[in-house]
Amino acid sequence: MATVASADAVGGVRGTTDVHLAAGYFHAYTVVGLVAVVGVLFVAVAFAAGHLLRPVVPTREKMLTYECGVDPVGEGWAQTQIRYYVYSFLYVIFAVDAIYLFPWATVFAAPGFGGTTLVEMFIFIGFLAVGLLYAWKKGVLEWT
Amino acid sequence: MTDLAGGLVQSIDWLAVAPPTILAVVALAVLVADLFVDEARRPLLGWAAVGGLVLAGLSLLPLLNGARTTFCLTTGAHNCSYVADHFTLAIQLLVIGGALLTALLSLHNQDRLPTGEFWFLLLSSAAGAALLPASRDLATLVVALEVVSLPSFALVGLRRSDRLSSEAALKFFLSSVTATAVMLLGVSFVYAATGTLHLGALSDGLTHAPAQLVTLAKTGAVLTLVGFAFKLGVAPFHFWVPDTYAGAPLPVAAYLSVVGKAAGFSGLILVTVIAFKPYGDVWGPALAVLAALTMTVGNVAALRQRPEHPRSAVRLLAWSSIGQAGYLLVPLAAAGYVADPRHQIGATVSYALMYTVVNLGAFGVAALVLRSDALNRITDYRGLYARRPLAALALAFFLLCLAGLPPGIIGLFAKVVVFSSAVDAGLGWLAVIMAVNVVIALYYYLRWTALLFVRPEPVPGEAAAVRTPASLTAAIAAAAVVGIALSGAPQLVLRFASGSLF
Repeated sequence: MATVASADAVGGVRGTTDVHLAAGYFHAYTVVGLVAVVGVLFVAVAFAAGHLLRPVVPTREKMLTYECGVDPVGEGWAQTQIRYYVYSFLYVIFAVDAIYLFPWATVFAAPGFGGTTLVEMFIFIGFLAVGLLYAWKKGVLEWT
Repeated sequence: MTDLAGGLVQSIDWLAVAPPTILAVVALAVLVADLFVDEARRPLLGWAAVGGLVLAGLSLLPLLNGARTTFCLTTGAHNCSYVADHFTLAIQLLVIGGALLTALLSLHNQDRLPTGEFWFLLLSSAAGAALLPASRDLATLVVALEVVSLPSFALVGLRRSDRLSSEAALKFFLSSVTATAVMLLGVSFVYAATGTLHLGALSDGLTHAPAQLVTLAKTGAVLTLVGFAFKLGVAPFHFWVPDTYAGAPLPVAAYLSVVGKAAGFSGLILVTVIAFKPYGDVWGPALAVLAALTMTVGNVAALRQRPEHPRSAVRLLAWSSIGQAGYLLVPLAAAGYVADPRHQIGATVSYALMYTVVNLGAFGVAALVLRSDALNRITDYRGLYARRPLAALALAFFLLCLAGLPPGIIGLFAKVVVFSSAVDAGLGWLAVIMAVNVVIALYYYLRWTALLFVRPEPVPGEAAAVRTPASLTAAIAAAAVVGIALSGAPQLVLRFASGSLF
C-alpha cells in the first residue's frame, strides 16, 4: 500500500523536479561506489605490502590449518544429518504461510469479507496440508 | 451475501478459468491418490491423468462463443488479468493436446519412474502452460512461466539412477533460473517506468513514459524478452536444449520440445504485441536477427550430428526443434513492422499447431524404436520399414512435414504462411535466410527418411519381437491421423493466419 501511495506522489510532481531527484539519487550511489573502491584499495595495499616486507621461512607447523591456536584434530569433512534439512524446509513452508495468515486474521471477520474469505484461506492451508501429508506418508517425518 | 460483500470479494468466472484449474486439481488428486493406492493399482493413476487432460480439453468447448474475462480491476480502465479469447483457446488446445500425447507416450514405461510424482509434475506443468496464454499482466505471466518450468526441472531429473538425467536437469535448472532472474529485473524496470503490470495499460504507459525513464523502460523491455527467449531456446540462449533433451526421459523431452516452447512463444507474443507495442521498432529488428541466428544455428548443428553416436536421434530432434523455434519467431519479428499484427500472430500459432502434432509424432516413433534399441541412434532406424512398416511410414510423414515437403502438405502450407508473413512485412532478407535454412534442413530430414527404407542388413539370430503397448500405438496413430487430416484440410489451422485470433 505504501509503495503505491509513494508512486502516486512521485507521479504528481513528475517533470521539473525529477531531473534534480535523479541527480541526487545517483550522487548517493557515487559515495557508495567510492567507499567500495577505497575498501578494495585498502585490502590490496595491505596484502601487497605484507607480501613484500615479510620474510618467508615455512615450517610444517606453520603450514597447518589455523584452528584457534591449537593443532587441528580430525578431518575437515563434516557431515550433517540430512533430516535437519528436510525439517527446516518443512518449517520454512509453515513459517511463510503465517505471513498470509496474520493479515487475513485481522480482516476476515470485518463486514464485507465473510464466508468466502474464510473458505479461501482454508483452501490455501489445505494445499500446505497436502504437502505435509505427502512428507508424512513418504516417511520423512520419522527420525530413525 | 450483502452488496458490500460483493464489492470486497471478487467474483470469479469459473468457466473461463476451468482448463488450468481442472489440470491443477487433477494433479493434486493424483499425488494424494498415489500415497494411498497399492503397487498393483498404480497404472490407474496414469489413466486418471489422461482423463483429467481430456476433461480439461472438453472444458475449452463452452468457451468458444466469445472472449471471457475475469480477475478484472474494478477501478479505472477495464484491465483484466485473465482473458479467454481465441488466441488463449488455440494455445490451450495446443498445450492440452501436447500434454495428452506426452501422457500416452509415457503410460507404458512407468516402472522406472516414481508414478505419482511423474503425473503430478506433468499435470502441474501443463496447468501452468494452460494459464500462461490467458494471463494479461506481467505478474501472472511470470508466475505461470515458473509453474511451467519448476515441475519440468524435476521431470527431467526424475530418473535418479541416471547420471546423464541429473546433469540434464542441473543444466536446465541453472539456465532457466538465470533467465527468470533476468526477466524479473526487466519486469521491475518496466514497472518502475510505467507504474502498471497489466499488459494493456503497459503499452499506454510506455507511450507516455517521461523522457528520462525511456532508457529504463527500453532496457526493461529487452531484459523481459531475454527471459522468454531462454525458455524458447532461442540462440544464443539455446545451449541447454540438446543436453537436456538427450538426458531427459524421452516423453519428457517430447513435452519440453512442444509445451515448453509453446509457453515461451505465447508469452513472447503477449509481451511484444500487447505490452511493448510502442517499441515495435526496437524488438521487431531484434527478433528478426534472433530468428535468423536461431534457425541457422539449429539447422547447421543438426546437420553435424553423427548418426552412429548414442542418442543421436533425440539430439537431432533437439537441434531441429531449435531450428523450428527460429521459424516460429519469423512472424513475430514481422509483427514489429506492421500496424495490425493479427495475421502474423495467426501465422505463428498455426505453425506451432502443425509443429506440435508432427514433432510429438516423431518423438512417439522414437519412443517405439527405443524399446528395441536402447542406444537410440539414427542408424538404428535403418530398414525400419522392413520391420515395422506402419511406424516407418508414420515417421517418414512426420519428418517430411517438419521439412515442409509433400505429402506433408500441412508442413508445406505452414511454412508458406510464415514465409509470406515475412515478405508482407518487408523482411525480404529474413525470408531469404529462411529459404536457405529450409534447404539445409531438407538434407538431414531426407537422409533420416531415406534410412528408413534402406534394405536392412541381415541380423544373425532375429531379435525377439517386442510387443508394442497400446497407448504408444494410440499416441503415434493420433498424431498421424491429425497430421493427415490437417494435410487434407489445412484451413483448419491456417484460418488463424487470416487474423481471427485477437
